Amino acid sequence: MTHPIDPISQDGASNFLPDPEWLSATGRGVTVAMIDSGVDASHPDLSGRIAEEVGARIEGKKVTFSPVDDGDLAGHGTACAGIITQLAPEAKVASIRVLGASGSGDAQVFLAGLEYAVKQRYKIINLSLGTTKPQFFAPLHDLLDRAYQAGCIVIAAANNLPQPSFPSIFSSSLISVVKSEEPDPLKFRFHYGEVIELTAPGVSVRTPWVGGGYRTLTGNSFACPHITGLLARLVEMHPELTPFQAKSALYAIARSNSTENG
Amino acid sequence: MAENRTDEFLERIQGLFRVADAEKLLADPVKEAITELLAASAVRLRAEAASVLVRTADSGDLKFLAATGEVADRIVGLEIPAGKGIAGFVLMSGQPLVVSEPDDESGFYAEVDKTTGFSTKLLLAVPLRFRDDVIGVLEYVNRSSEPFSEPFTPAEMDIAAVYAEAVAALVNAHIGADLMCELSRRIIRDSSEESDVRAWLRSMRENSTHARAIELAALVSELSEKGDAEVELCRTLLESLIGYSSSTTGRLDLA
Repeated sequence: MTHPIDPISQDGASNFLPDPEWLSATGRGVTVAMIDSGVDASHPDLSGRIAEEVGARIEGKKVTFSPVDDGDLAGHGTACAGIITQLAPEAKVASIRVLGASGSGDAQVFLAGLEYAVKQRYKIINLSLGTTKPQFFAPLHDLLDRAYQAGCIVIAAANNLPQPSFPSIFSSSLISVVKSEEPDPLKFRFHYGEVIELTAPGVSVRTPWVGGGYRTLTGNSFACPHITGLLARLVEMHPELTPFQAKSALYAIARSNSTENG
Repeated sequence: MAENRTDEFLERIQGLFRVADAEKLLADPVKEAITELLAASAVRLRAEAASVLVRTADSGDLKFLAATGEVADRIVGLEIPAGKGIAGFVLMSGQPLVVSEPDDESGFYAEVDKTTGFSTKLLLAVPLRFRDDVIGVLEYVNRSSEPFSEPFTPAEMDIAAVYAEAVAALVNAHIGADLMCELSRRIIRDSSEESDVRAWLRSMRENSTHARAIELAALVSELSEKGDAEVELCRTLLESLIGYSSSTTGRLDLA
């Protein structure tokens, strides 16, 4: 099947290419919200890079967020924050922890985390979680639309499992990423017309780990922060970048990469 | 007189449940099947050990249901609090993950390793999905042969995801078998304490995994208590629904 507009034959994509200055940007002045397992702020790689650490608490049927200081419960958030700050060394990370708040449905807690990030108007939101429960389709769709309207750029990790996971399959309001074996973060790919459009490094990625050490990790949720880190650079150069422009820029960069590489 | 008959009936029921031994009849064979599948898949994935963690309640706590490898006996039954560790993250995110420890690092799965004496260097974790829910986590640990430090590959993650589908179906069967065992235990222990059984049923109803099925059963039961006409209505409705849903999967004859 061919698309009505075949992006491969469109040279117009280069019109969306950002000024190459973004390549040397460091994410200065940009804070990225990360909805994850928390963060080990004492890791040498993350020292001074954490802007905020909040954790979910369940109060009756409500999920609230308040400051926490007990770090990362699983190691995952520290790894993702490490990837973001490797690519955008002057960006700050706001850790919104949605793990470990027991007594409620998981999807409800991460939805609340996303809502918190949107309410705080974080320009870039990294989301490594999703849900396959159909009852959350509509509330998540609505929330992602609100994020889009608020100008928040949401980057989500997709899963390669047979069941679709929300919100990563939503195509218009967010940027979804799966892993590739390509190690160079700048050589990410954009697959126009596919459910999950972006591929980024996600195989054997060396990242910081809880307690000051490092691990080598593989998974889509490590591909996602690579794109987040690059977007932090773009937002430093263009603070008013909209989610739509962000996607267009990623598309143009990926297109020019694949042309350069044949 | 009537009371004697009830007592006698209860004793007979208790006797039957004792003979049936729900654990041996239902739960054990399913658990054995899970362990067999773990062992076979671990060979395929060149893993030293494999284990299955299941969500114990809505709180999201995880408990090792089955395991293979040297420390299997020490692992089964261990619990991990909600949201802790890689397994907790995989349960919540639904994302398969591979974690490897570089040679210059040591000690990563501290809590479980401390209890078992096992040393985790490589880990492959995949979510166990049943219908729309993540009900547990399937884990493969370390390599069984050279090269021992080779991380699990993306292709092996995909293979593990296929095994996870089969394991998840078995885990779900085990959850059902466990419910029957619990009911059986309660009847054997003291069936005259009806309130006890009721309280247990209520707690089951609050567990989202079983809530929908039990709610439906309760509705049907409530309706049928009203009288014969209601029973008939209920049956007709359900039968026509079943008839309708099976006819839509085949060819509809509208002539």
